[in-house]
Amino acid sequence: MIAQETQYRDWMVAALSGDGASYRMLLTALTRHLRGYFSRRLDPAAAEDAVQECLIAIHTRRATYDPTLPFTAWMHGIARYKLIDEYRRVKRRALVPLDAAPDLFAQDETEAATARRDVNLLLARLSDAKQGLVRQVKLDGDSIAEVAARSGMSESAVKVSVHRAIKSMGDEVRGGDENR
Amino acid sequence: MKTDDLIATLSDGLTPTPPGEFWRRIAVGTACGTLAAALLWLGTMGARPDLAEATGAWPFWMKFFYTLTLAVTGLWLLARAGRPGAKLTPPALTLMVPLAVVAVLAGLALADPDADTYRLLMGHSALYCPFAIALVSLPVLAGSFWSLKRLAPTRLAMAGGAAGLFAGSAGAFVYAFYCTESAAPFVVVWYSLGTVLSCIIGALLGRIALRW
Repeated sequence: MIAQETQYRDWMVAALSGDGASYRMLLTALTRHLRGYFSRRLDPAAAEDAVQECLIAIHTRRATYDPTLPFTAWMHGIARYKLIDEYRRVKRRALVPLDAAPDLFAQDETEAATARRDVNLLLARLSDAKQGLVRQVKLDGDSIAEVAARSGMSESAVKVSVHRAIKSMGDEVRGGDENR
Repeated sequence: MKTDDLIATLSDGLTPTPPGEFWRRIAVGTACGTLAAALLWLGTMGARPDLAEATGAWPFWMKFFYTLTLAVTGLWLLARAGRPGAKLTPPALTLMVPLAVVAVLAGLALADPDADTYRLLMGHSALYCPFAIALVSLPVLAGSFWSLKRLAPTRLAMAGGAAGLFAGSAGAFVYAFYCTESAAPFVVVWYSLGTVLSCIIGALLGRIALRW
């Protein structure tokens, strides 16, 4: 049996005898379940519409609840029906546009661009020397030995320097999050 | 409208639901439909002229109780189909009982070595009996749909089929006052076929007409 069964059935039985307060608690609790159920299956606007459709269905069809049967099964029957109804509506209106695939991948592109911009902002806060080292080692993919030879530093100095720079960039990001 | 406002609106004006409300909605549609079917059919085609005589013999009562038990079980099925989460298996299995009883009677009649098998099966009205039953049942089907739309059917084809089954057997019940056939093999084949026809009509229409 579903954990909330007894509580919900009690509220529903009270609601059928005209107890508005129990009914309100029931509808509020059910709204949370319904939001979860529909938002996993529909887009946000349609999900909220479906939640309201369900609440209205519960209200106008409440006479069909038989207190000897599980309330959760009754509720699930209605939610499932409204979900199928919503799918049917979407299909009939042919609301799924042909450019769905480009839309999907455009999102990915934006994220990569955002990440690049963030890294550049963080690098700009480092000293020029450290910035150069991090770019060469981490972004361009040069080896520590190559960078050391080019800059005239020892390999371990390059390693330590890059490590500290990355650490300070990390602190910057975390600190920024805390301030937000 | 915001969802919270909707909840407030629904719960503020809440009135008690009378305990018999569910069955009242079923009764209004199905009773009006059956009454309309009886008035339309018997009013235009009339009852069989030998009705008084026929009620003294068992074949009339066989048809009477076969269709009546099917109709009552169909009504049970319809009620279940109108309640989300209710199981349909018990009424669906119960349908087998009247069918089995009449099938046994039909088997006994056909087993008689002197029996005229063709006549027992075809009677004199086999070709139009199922269609007449489906026709008589149409007002009942309309009434049953009226009821179901006020309940909460969640599987529409199934609910439509249940309504069609009830309508078909109620239609056959009405038709039995007109029909002069008396052989069990005829009844088990053609009466059942008429009911199945109505059931199919109900299932097909239900998918669209029962949306709520």
